Amino acid sequence: MDLGSLLYLGVTFGLFVIFVLIVMRTYSRKRKDEGEIAKYRMLDDD
Amino acid sequence: MENRAYNYAIVRSFVTWSVIWGLVAVLVGVIVSLQMVEPDLNFPPYLTFGRLRPIHTNAGIYGWGVGVIFATFLYIVQRLCKTPLWSDKLAKFQLWFFNATIIASAVTLLLGYTTSKEYHEMEWPIDVMIVILWVAFAINIVMTILKRKDEQMYISLWYMLAAIIGVAILFTVNAAAVPASLFKSYSAYAGTNDANVEWWFGHNAVAMALTAPPLAMFYYFLPKTTGVPIYSHRLSITAFWSLIFMYLWTGAHHLLWTPVPDWIQTLAMGFSVMLIAPSWGSVFNGYLSMNGQWHQMRENYLVKYLILGITFYGLQTLQGPMQAIRTFSAFIHYTDWVPAHIHMGTMGWVSMISFASIYFLIPRIYGREVYSIPLANLQFWLILVGQLIWSISLWIAGVLQAGMWNAMNPDGSLTYTFMETMVEMYPYWWARVFGGLIYMAGLVVFIYNLYMTVSKGKPLATQTASVEGRA
Repeated sequence: MDLGSLLYLGVTFGLFVIFVLIVMRTYSRKRKDEGEIAKYRMLDDD
Repeated sequence: MENRAYNYAIVRSFVTWSVIWGLVAVLVGVIVSLQMVEPDLNFPPYLTFGRLRPIHTNAGIYGWGVGVIFATFLYIVQRLCKTPLWSDKLAKFQLWFFNATIIASAVTLLLGYTTSKEYHEMEWPIDVMIVILWVAFAINIVMTILKRKDEQMYISLWYMLAAIIGVAILFTVNAAAVPASLFKSYSAYAGTNDANVEWWFGHNAVAMALTAPPLAMFYYFLPKTTGVPIYSHRLSITAFWSLIFMYLWTGAHHLLWTPVPDWIQTLAMGFSVMLIAPSWGSVFNGYLSMNGQWHQMRENYLVKYLILGITFYGLQTLQGPMQAIRTFSAFIHYTDWVPAHIHMGTMGWVSMISFASIYFLIPRIYGREVYSIPLANLQFWLILVGQLIWSISLWIAGVLQAGMWNAMNPDGSLTYTFMETMVEMYPYWWARVFGGLIYMAGLVVFIYNLYMTVSKGKPLATQTASVEGRA
């Protein structure tokens, strides 16, 4: 595997770590209610 | 109600033009399907399968698909952000530049100017027009989102932003070319790299133009139609980020068993299978949003369109990863199975959601009740049956074709000549013509219903002042 290939896989792994952090933040207990507010508010845009 | 002076005039214009280009796409699609069974219907040099087929795909994706994206996004962004568009003038410029770009694309393709890259056939001057068009659209949407009233963004806005950024990156990278003359250019990439970049673009154009936008529409119009919120906003956010993370690595599954490095093919295959999770995250979110509301499938025609649409999305995103597995790809790739797959996505998933979105919009942007709900139901069944005939006949044809291509005699020679496999396809290709005609009949019913709604529909009882629009 050359340097370019390793870079390609490295970027993939880096993005995976970011993705895991987003999921952890989305499902954190502290943000449980806050995470669902938008679905109620969108019904009131009329 | 507060009149925020939303710009609905631009939404009306985009709805009209997208439907016109949709009709062109389906009409040309029926013509090219006839040319497959009756080669005498090719009239060189302009009206041949080779020149008409890219007009069919580009009118479908960019005229109908992107036209509906423009119409719905310009509506949704104003509603969700509770603020008018950032610039009405820019939106108007976008409308006319959109039509100029589509017409320029159709004319140059008809004249035979092509890059020969699938879904990116237009030569470099049209690419420049597309970039200008997309930048105008992006600026207006992003600036409107920036002046939103609610801090937290609803999931539809996330998908809209992803579509805008994703298409911009994919298109610009794949468009890199060295112009040799006004209508001839050479790709900036060579050989295998060119193929890899092309299918990175090609597959992700499906993601960012034909998946993210319909999901934005689905997440907006389903709760608006049923009157109850989606099942889980957090699930939708997780599905969104996982889709964004996984999709961009999958393009190389179009290049299995080619000189593209083996590890890239494996990576694409793995990510394609993993992509089932975010796709079905949205499907389940849609189904679970219907808890206690399933009776609306019988009572509300819009719900029928939306739920069948998301169901086709679910089926599409199971079949796609299956095709991305090396062993199955070896059997099925290059056969008629593949167009059947993509037409389930375009005629089933994307168009079902688009029809529902337009039916939802029309009363609100024209202030009139839909002319005929029985006609809307008739259209539903016509497009459903037309699409199923289209896809099922070609799935069968694809398996038959693959079987005949792979059949070998004991001495290792091929059992069938290529011509014999072609002749065997004719009944299925006729079935495709038949399915396409039924689908087109559904589209004609749709256009008639829209026309009658606009010209003779009853005024809505609770018409709002903002319905009149501004532009």
